[in-house]
Amino acid sequence: MARRQRGPSRSYDKPVGYGVPTLLAIGLHVLVVVLSLVTLPQRQPADPESTSIVQATLVSTETTTDQAQRAEEARARAAARQAEEEARQEEEARQAEAEEQARAEAERQAAEERAREAEQQQAAREEEARRLQEARQEAEAEAQRRAEEAERQARLREEQEAERQRQQEAAAEAERQRQQEAQQRAEEEARRQREAEEQRQREAEEQRRREEEAQRQREAEEQRRREEEAQRQREAEEQRRREEEAQRQREAEEQRRREEEARRQREAEEQRRREEEARRAAEAASQGLDRAIEGESDAVANARQAQEAANSFINLVRRAVEQAWVIPPGAGGGLAATVQVQLGPSGELFGATITQSSGDSSFDRSALQAVEAAAPFGELRQLPPAAQRDFRQFNLRFTPGDVR
Amino acid sequence: MNDSMSIPHLIMSASTVVQLVMLILVLGSILSWVVIFQRTFVMRRARAAHQTFEERFWSGVDLNELYRETPSEQETQGAEHVFRAGFREFNRLMAKTKSADAILDGVQRSMRVAWSREEERLTLHLVFLATVASASPYIGLFGTVWGIMGSFQALSMAQQATLATVAPWIAEALIATAMGLFAAIPAVIFYNRLSSESDRLLGKYEDFAEEFHSILHRNLQGRSEAGTA
Repeated sequence: MARRQRGPSRSYDKPVGYGVPTLLAIGLHVLVVVLSLVTLPQRQPADPESTSIVQATLVSTETTTDQAQRAEEARARAAARQAEEEARQEEEARQAEAEEQARAEAERQAAEERAREAEQQQAAREEEARRLQEARQEAEAEAQRRAEEAERQARLREEQEAERQRQQEAAAEAERQRQQEAQQRAEEEARRQREAEEQRQREAEEQRRREEEAQRQREAEEQRRREEEAQRQREAEEQRRREEEAQRQREAEEQRRREEEARRQREAEEQRRREEEARRAAEAASQGLDRAIEGESDAVANARQAQEAANSFINLVRRAVEQAWVIPPGAGGGLAATVQVQLGPSGELFGATITQSSGDSSFDRSALQAVEAAAPFGELRQLPPAAQRDFRQFNLRFTPGDVR
Repeated sequence: MNDSMSIPHLIMSASTVVQLVMLILVLGSILSWVVIFQRTFVMRRARAAHQTFEERFWSGVDLNELYRETPSEQETQGAEHVFRAGFREFNRLMAKTKSADAILDGVQRSMRVAWSREEERLTLHLVFLATVASASPYIGLFGTVWGIMGSFQALSMAQQATLATVAPWIAEALIATAMGLFAAIPAVIFYNRLSSESDRLLGKYEDFAEEFHSILHRNLQGRSEAGTA
């Protein structure tokens, strides 16, 4: 009995080695790795929606707005900063700017008057052109009528002639029956008469033809003259139109420059006002130094915030439009379209129009759709009210970057 | 897309520090599982051995015979070890002294030494499990933080931050945390289980030592009474 029970107790005495546990642990890890490799590829194709979303974001990553526009913005920002410094440093500069503003106002009014005059002139010119056109049409119609009349008369004359000829023949035949012996003579006479008649007829016809030809030539000449005149008029008009357009562009540019200047002035003024407020607050709170410091820092923070908001609004709009822009697949790198965007007071879209087409209608449409999709720009309300007016209307330029 | 986001690809493209962290975590996980398996086998065997020995002990066998069953040079474990240490000390002291208190003191001391040896043997490497359980989440978190730092550094170079540019970096960094948790969770669970098991076994050994002590005490009482009578 003792021997039988010593058997199992012997096996317990042997210490547990590390070989089998090591093998088991490594086997377990290999199993986990294999399971993760096997199950993950099965799960991944099951959710294509998420990958497609990421791909859509990738498309929008590759769109870039125009470098020129960015440069322009940077320039505008730099100018605004410079104006701020100037306003802070010089009091006289501000007065000069006020004067300049007055002058700019006068100039704007003059420009408006000029524009109105130009419009009136254009209207008069248009009226004249219309009258000319009408006169030309009338002349053409009359010529046609005259040609028709001549034709009708010729036909009538021919018919009369034929009638007369028939009557003469009938008379000749009656004479032939009555006078047998004088037949030959009569015949000869008749022939002679006929020949004379024919001669006369031919001559008349030739005359008529010559007259008609002359008339036709005259008409053709007149026509040519008229066309030349019309051509000359058209060219002149086009020239005028081109000049007007150039004028208009120049005016628009001037207008833009003036607006920018006005904005700068406004910002400078605001800055001054804020500074004054801060100073006043500091004076009022001169008893408590802490309060003064607090108020000043608040004012400075507010000013900076407003400035940043105004600067970042156009960036926000551009980014939103970029995100919403789906470039049509066939669009090459050379296309560019400019869209004018008009916003309402709370940032809603009033209108988006193509001011400069790219020539590709689907590209233009995609640009408009991008603006419409990105439309409610609620950030406009966060801008200071002076800046809001500036951003109610602006242009966006669409150029695809390196589209793959 | 699928290829670049697969886990082996992410691990291979991770930065060196993150890869090092992952290596440490994998090693910790493997070693902790080795300990888990080894300790589980040891505990199971010790439990079975204890049961067998107790049955044999209480079956009414003569203690001298039980002691002589196993040769003295052989290493014994568990309650048997405690019994042999105590009985050996008892036999040696019986030949030298008549004082019952001195004998019982010596027996108790030797049994306590045997018990503490058994405790050391049972809880061997359990501290390693505890270390892995508590440290590997932090190590994994370190790898994740390092990876995300790298991802943001790379992001500062990019012109536009989209989900597609950030996602691989973050996924790769998060693998380190996942590995840390993967190593830590089994280590925590098995540390608790194995330590409670060893506590229970040690409690049984202690009970057995007390019972054996009382038996010896009874024997000595009877003998001293017989000697005086």
